[in-house]
Amino acid sequence: MESLMTIELAGNILNVTLGGKLDAVRAPELMEELKKMSGQKLEKIIFYTAELEYISSAGLRAIIFAKQKIGLDSEIFFVGAQEAVLDVINMSGLDNFLTILDKV
Amino acid sequence: MITIELPAVMENLDDCLDFLVKGIEQAGIDKKTVFQLRLACEEVIVNVIHYAYPNQQGKVRISYELAEDASNLVILVSDSGVPFNPLEKSEPDISLPIEERQIGGLGIFMVRKVMDSVEYTREDGRNILTLRKVLMK
Repeated sequence: MESLMTIELAGNILNVTLGGKLDAVRAPELMEELKKMSGQKLEKIIFYTAELEYISSAGLRAIIFAKQKIGLDSEIFFVGAQEAVLDVINMSGLDNFLTILDKV
Repeated sequence: MITIELPAVMENLDDCLDFLVKGIEQAGIDKKTVFQLRLACEEVIVNVIHYAYPNQQGKVRISYELAEDASNLVILVSDSGVPFNPLEKSEPDISLPIEERQIGGLGIFMVRKVMDSVEYTREDGRNILTLRKVLMK
């Protein structure tokens, strides 16, 4: 499996590093990890996506889940995404609700 | 047409997609298009895995044909499960704020976005989705 994922809580910032493919096979693992963070008062959720090669609607769902279930009061960042991944984010309209940055 | 048929379970999703992606990469299709085709096929195959066989095991069949001059591609994804037309799902409202987003429907919405046409037919007890894409030269 090309799942390359790390999640690290630093104070009230959740740093999520994604790599490989975030698809229907691998997104459930991210969803499970994110669930463990519910109840935390998060100010920011930062997805580091420079190594992320591919994302499908299953991956988008995990990001929507992050906002709806654990980060209602937090700002969601999407950092360093490759063009093809950004295309999917834009296609889904999620670009309006994420803060997209080239780098932090 | 080149065809693969595998049990419709999530464990086979990679094999299904790799079959398609390797075939079209060899034909020299550009990276961005390959990405879009993988995306469309994942959404369609995952639908089969989730909905086609509620009460029994079944298979998903993927076929594709690339025009000789590589100007267009046709992909068929079919199953012998319960009648199910994913195109009848209502389109998600992508203008809704993320807090109010519905989880469903996004996959098929993106399939329609990246393909030039998507058609559903029910023939001989099979659900058949036909996806077409005109390829840039």
